[in-house]
Amino acid sequence: MSRVDVANVTKKFGQATALDDVSITFEDGGFFALLGPSGSGKTTLLRTIAGFYFPEAGTIRIGEQNVETVPVEKRDIGMMFQNYALFPNMSVADNVGFGLRVRKVPAAEEKRRIAEALELVQLGAMANRKPSQLSGGQRQRVALARAIVTNPRVLLLDEPLSALDKTLRVDMQIELKRIQREIGITTIFVTHDQEEALTLSDRIGILKDGRIVQAGPPREVYDRPVDAFAAGFLGEANWLPEAALAGLSLPVTAAGRRFATRPEMLSISAEAPADGRNAVKGRLQQRVFAGAMATCLVEVAGQQWKLVARDRDIPELPGGGDVWLAWDPADTLAVPA
Amino acid sequence: MADLVTPAERRRLYTLLSPAYLWLMVAVFLPLSAMLFFSFLTDMPQDAPDWGVTLGNYAEFLSNPTYGTLMAKSLKLAVTVTLFCILIGYPCALVLAKSIKGRAREALFLMVILPFWSNSLVRIFSWAIVLRGNGVLERAINWVLPFDVRLNLMFTTDAVVIGLVHSYLPYVILTSYLALQAVDDDLIDAARSMGASKLTILRRILLPLSLPGLLAGAVLVFVPVVGSFMEPRILGGRMGTYYGTVIEDQFVAVYNWPLGAALSFILLAVVIVILAAASPVLKRAQT
Amino acid sequence: MTRSPLVLIGKIWLALILVFLYAPILVMAAMSFNASPFYQLPFQFSTDWYAKMAGNQQIIAAAIRSVLIACATTAIATVLGTAASVALFRYDFPGKRILQVLLFPPIAIPWLITGTAMLVFFFAIGIGRGTPAVLIGHVALALPYVIVTVSARLSSFDVTLEEAARSMGANAWTVLSRVTLPWIAPGIVAGALFAFAVSFDQFVVSYFLSEPGDSTLPVLIYTAIRKGFTPEINAISTIIVTVSMAVMFLAARFSKFGGSR
Repeated sequence: MSRVDVANVTKKFGQATALDDVSITFEDGGFFALLGPSGSGKTTLLRTIAGFYFPEAGTIRIGEQNVETVPVEKRDIGMMFQNYALFPNMSVADNVGFGLRVRKVPAAEEKRRIAEALELVQLGAMANRKPSQLSGGQRQRVALARAIVTNPRVLLLDEPLSALDKTLRVDMQIELKRIQREIGITTIFVTHDQEEALTLSDRIGILKDGRIVQAGPPREVYDRPVDAFAAGFLGEANWLPEAALAGLSLPVTAAGRRFATRPEMLSISAEAPADGRNAVKGRLQQRVFAGAMATCLVEVAGQQWKLVARDRDIPELPGGGDVWLAWDPADTLAVPA
Repeated sequence: MADLVTPAERRRLYTLLSPAYLWLMVAVFLPLSAMLFFSFLTDMPQDAPDWGVTLGNYAEFLSNPTYGTLMAKSLKLAVTVTLFCILIGYPCALVLAKSIKGRAREALFLMVILPFWSNSLVRIFSWAIVLRGNGVLERAINWVLPFDVRLNLMFTTDAVVIGLVHSYLPYVILTSYLALQAVDDDLIDAARSMGASKLTILRRILLPLSLPGLLAGAVLVFVPVVGSFMEPRILGGRMGTYYGTVIEDQFVAVYNWPLGAALSFILLAVVIVILAAASPVLKRAQT
Repeated sequence: MTRSPLVLIGKIWLALILVFLYAPILVMAAMSFNASPFYQLPFQFSTDWYAKMAGNQQIIAAAIRSVLIACATTAIATVLGTAASVALFRYDFPGKRILQVLLFPPIAIPWLITGTAMLVFFFAIGIGRGTPAVLIGHVALALPYVIVTVSARLSSFDVTLEEAARSMGANAWTVLSRVTLPWIAPGIVAGALFAFAVSFDQFVVSYFLSEPGDSTLPVLIYTAIRKGFTPEINAISTIIVTVSMAVMFLAARFSKFGGSR
């Protein structure tokens, strides 16, 4: 296990700059999610760390070794691909044993380690099957076993869960987290699913246009976004209109800043709240019932706000009528304009 | 797609289908059956009213060692040409499918298969010009090398092999390329992430996964080469007597059609055996 | 897989293969413009052989016959083949699989066998040798290529388009002519070009089926080569190669054959 240091890395494809002076540290044993819209450079960063691409500038260290010019096959990493990339011509055991065979591990040890890895992902009984005979979730587990069986220094995951359906995905998230903890491997994980990033990781990096916008623990990034993009990308943000700022209690001075609230921080009522909390007036457009939770869409000074709350906490309100949205001043997000 | 329910649909189906298949029936399948029949005759009915049924034509194949020898010679030629096509063509397909990207790949691929669709007779003829003594190849080599080389390749077995490889090489490149292109690049990336060298990737992933395509190409080369007659005639000269040229002779020179029919049918049997032997692997290509 | 010496070697290999494939054709083309009838160097440019060729009635007649047969083959094989492809795509019926498999013998069996079988059969039923026999043979060889090409295009056809057309009140023939045929048009064009190439380049079957003195161009060339060839043959061969490569280049364009997916 090793920590990974990326310093001032720039990667270009022709004229396009995919990574622009990126510096970030992945702590030893940590679970780090790289999050960003498509084209943000998150996959490029992962593949540059893996060694598929060599950066034009900057250094990459895995443990104590500088690896930026080391090709992928010499980097001693484990990687999981979006479509699993299992070798269709090999059995499950041969897939898992591929990296061991390449490293010329003795046959007996190879066999033992394949069995261990398959045990870890609870697929011991499937060793002799072909990938085509497995379900999506099982393929996923084989891909994971294959990526970790060589005890790589770092585990790289490229949207590994995006091909699974919702329920299976949640199961696999729990499973992935368990295995990662169990072997304590430094893990870097690319996703565009913010919920997945929040669930799995102990640190998050948000990328945009080839740059790291913000990196830190999930709660910190969620509660204190550094700019409007981070606020809107991780979680949702209701932006306060300029005109509504007067009379509200704000955490910092308004000059040069924009303010927002999170949908789940809001409460809704027909009357203005009298408890000194911040409140804005709007018109209720729609109330959407979704089981335990409900969503209200409210028009506030020409903008659409969103509120999410337990359905039972939302009072009966007339559609199209005036409502008040209120929140604790401490829950106001402030970012540079 | 729909099941046939109404008589109108049935009528439409027959209208659409029957012309093409009747044509194939008359021009391919009936002739093949007729030839099987004629191969058991003593004479052609239109030539001799007293024709009879015989196994003599097949007995001739067995009793006269020339035919067996020529069949072996043709099979050996086909093996040689097929091996050369694989050894030359597969690396070529590999480079095209996995090292060259985008428009360059499309253009190069088209360039590789284009000559294959030009007249094969003419291409063989062009080798006759290149290979003849004091021909262009000899002059080119002597111009490059300091010492004098006499390489009268024309009318040798080598000339026949060169011409046939030239004719059929694009088959192997085409089928191997299509098979290799279908291999997901992520598989290669995955193997590299596990530390595999290029040779390991070739041996354990690319080769096994493209084997059906490679084999399809090999069959497409092997089968016509066993029955080739024009290429040996033009490039082989006196060395150019093969099983195919003997069949040709029966039809255009000796006029022993029943024997020719029997020899053709024995060749067809060989072809069918080869296709049957290859079919398990070829079927795997479709799954 | 860049930056590797292996890749460089591979690219050089590919370049050598292209030289191997094109060099003899280019040599032949060059020699057709060389004044010496014995391919003597130094090269002296001359169009004499083309002039001689143009004056050779036999060659001109054979060339016209070849083109006419190829055009007739293209027309017949394209119409019949397209109809069969549509039927095979549209309907499920018992024996469909067999009909599809039956397309392969004409492609897979060596032409020597098919050609001699046709010769034997056509004599037995009284057609004999000659241009009609050649045409029948060529259409049979071209049909599978047309059906395979058009079927490949059809397989990407969205059947719900037909259903949509019918839901708007179109009858079966309107659906076919306004919806289905326009979609498969590129496949039909490619199939037609394949058919033309199969016929125009066909030597083996023509050789067995054509009447001596009434032969197609490839057969004439073969006979001339065996008698001891003249540079006129060189000239006409150069023209043939140019024409057939141009036709196939167009076919590849239309069918996006081997293009990026």
